Amino acid sequence: MEKVLTDFVKALRNSNVRVSPAETIDAVSVIDSVGYEDKELLKRTLSIVLSKTPDEKEKFNACFDDFFSDEIKQQVSVDIDQLSDIKDVDSDLAKKLLEGSQGELMLSIADAAEEAEIREIRYFTQRSVFTRRILEKMGVGKLEDELMQLGSSREDELPSDFEQELRNQLTNLRERVSDYVQQQFLLHGDVSGEQLREQVFKSMNMAQIDRSYLNEVHSLVRKMAKKLANLHSRRKKNFKKGKLDIRKTIRDNWVNQGILFNLSWAYKKVDRPKIYVICDVSGSVGAYARFMLMFLFSLTEVVSKLRAFVFSSNLGEVTNDFKDAKLDEAIEKALQKHGGGSTDYGQALTDFVSLCVDEIDNKTTVVILGDARNNFGPEKAHLLKTIKERSKQVFWLNPEGKYRWDTGDSVMTKYSAYCTKVFQCGNIDQLERVVSTLLKTAI
Amino acid sequence: MTDGPKKIIKDITKGFAKHGYICSEQIATAVYLASELEKPILIEGPPGVGKTELANTAALYFKKEMIRLQCYEGLDESKALYEWRYGKQLLYTQILKEQMQEVLEGAKGLKESLDRLMKFEDIFFSEDFLETRPLLEALTSEKGSVLLIDEVDKSDEEFEALLLEILSEFQISIPELGVRKADVKPLVVLTSNNSREIGDALKRRCLHLYIPFPDAKLERQIVQARVPEITESMQIQLVNFVQGIRELDLKKLPAISETIDWAKTVILLNSEELDAKLAEDTLNVLLKHQQDIDVVKKEIPALVSSATETSDGKSLN
Repeated sequence: MEKVLTDFVKALRNSNVRVSPAETIDAVSVIDSVGYEDKELLKRTLSIVLSKTPDEKEKFNACFDDFFSDEIKQQVSVDIDQLSDIKDVDSDLAKKLLEGSQGELMLSIADAAEEAEIREIRYFTQRSVFTRRILEKMGVGKLEDELMQLGSSREDELPSDFEQELRNQLTNLRERVSDYVQQQFLLHGDVSGEQLREQVFKSMNMAQIDRSYLNEVHSLVRKMAKKLANLHSRRKKNFKKGKLDIRKTIRDNWVNQGILFNLSWAYKKVDRPKIYVICDVSGSVGAYARFMLMFLFSLTEVVSKLRAFVFSSNLGEVTNDFKDAKLDEAIEKALQKHGGGSTDYGQALTDFVSLCVDEIDNKTTVVILGDARNNFGPEKAHLLKTIKERSKQVFWLNPEGKYRWDTGDSVMTKYSAYCTKVFQCGNIDQLERVVSTLLKTAI
Repeated sequence: MTDGPKKIIKDITKGFAKHGYICSEQIATAVYLASELEKPILIEGPPGVGKTELANTAALYFKKEMIRLQCYEGLDESKALYEWRYGKQLLYTQILKEQMQEVLEGAKGLKESLDRLMKFEDIFFSEDFLETRPLLEALTSEKGSVLLIDEVDKSDEEFEALLLEILSEFQISIPELGVRKADVKPLVVLTSNNSREIGDALKRRCLHLYIPFPDAKLERQIVQARVPEITESMQIQLVNFVQGIRELDLKKLPAISETIDWAKTVILLNSEELDAKLAEDTLNVLLKHQQDIDVVKKEIPALVSSATETSDGKSLN
């Protein structure tokens, strides 16, 4: 019986539930006392032992249902003996379907699957191929031919009972096989496929990521943001000694007969950074703004204040949209409301300065995302100078490759003179690096 | 002990109900496993669904002493494990000084006095001067205990590491005294509100129970158990109303504890029927944020009518 459990654990791991060997051992001892008889009880117990977050519990439930979905579907049985045209069909499969027991059928599916090398299944998309292959090995082709003949030989419009029954059985078999393949996929499917995809997304130019992958990229971004958040949320112990903690010092020094020998210092709490983001959302850079905002708003727990502004010609604040609504919707809304139109950096900076220059202090980091293509308008770089003087630092992220800066209508150099740092930020990997630097230096 | 697990789980459900805690099968199974495998349970879930209460009830049910450790930022071993009674230790050294004369009397040379000193019993670091704190107390408790480590997520990561030894081996190493092992393993319950991700090492050592908001049926049972004086129709209406609110997009959803508070409020006000006015007047018992109250206020008529309708439907059946 342990084989079933280890197979199940393998399936769990493939569906991204992390199960350690120690937990598997726990599960074995749990099953010793609970047994396999009651499926609901088994599900409840294993869920307690094996899955350790709400998210994992959900995956666990789905996986459990898939893995133990062995209920035999109720058959609408027709008494075969009474059917007249049984003689017209002589393929093995048809006989097996009509006469064989469920067990035999399962066995022949397993045999055919073995022949079709089901162990090689790796990707989600291969399931239909394998289903087809197994069905072929079982001789479905012949049965289909026979069914065709039956259909063409009959005179009246309606198919006979027998033909109907055979067709039902065939559909039934198809479902079975596809269930079986699903189960095997859970077992043998490879998670490295996912890792590979993540790798590709990370290094791909953000503008080129297809919209259909947005969800996956979003979860990837969240994962990376979480990692950063964890890294930076650790309370840092102070190295420069701060205030004397008298209570703790006296307490610690009881050991020394009350002589204050070892001094204890109060922890100095680390201030969380304030971040103001200004994103260009005009056609050329909109796609990048999406990921930038996604990343930053996944970081709210380590940032004390985050305000986001977007612009193409005029600047508007979108912070509240992000606070209230879901991230995806908020991004769409922001892009719709402010996107399009020709870019005017001069106007955007003017708006920004008039809107909130007073709030910028020496703990604030201002991040500007844009390609600095100003349509030959006035760039008003002196406004950026004002911002820089008031703030802790100004970062400029340019999604274009460095070789394209200052070509055509790009005025990158004029702005970069007033930036603390300028980054090229075209893919998610680079974005992560930038945000990490930002959190490190923003305090 | 030959009872099947199903029977024991049923007993737990019943026993807990006797103490006023209505638990789902999932919860009962977790309690069973924790006592059977002698492993700690980590309970997660939104605030107010009865995580802490579960530990309290378990203590009553197993008739064990309840020891509670509330976690907070900066909690360290001197507050959670043990500390030396420094004051007493100082006094002890004073006494020692006086005794020393007798011990060393007539000793010749430095070596002999040192030998005598070595033979002298020293209790400077001993049980006598050990101030036990909740964790050590739970381990040394003779009849066994239920140890509740509340809101683990509020503590620092260093403290989590400290818990590992206790949770997996049920022992504590005290450098001066050696390893203290529990004779009777305590039932350990940890709760977390998920304000911080708990480390994998800690999670691996625990059973994990997630308590979600209850469904209508369970919630009605809970209200019935906690506020028995409420009329049935009122109770159904209240629960339906709260379940309706949980569908809305709010900052903080009302939990079971709020439902119970609300039921008590309604009893206090002597109301027989849930109507829009009553709901509006008492909304602040249920919701804790002004924005949430504003959102719900708009929905009250719809919520009340659907809550009372379904209850009528039920009573017809």
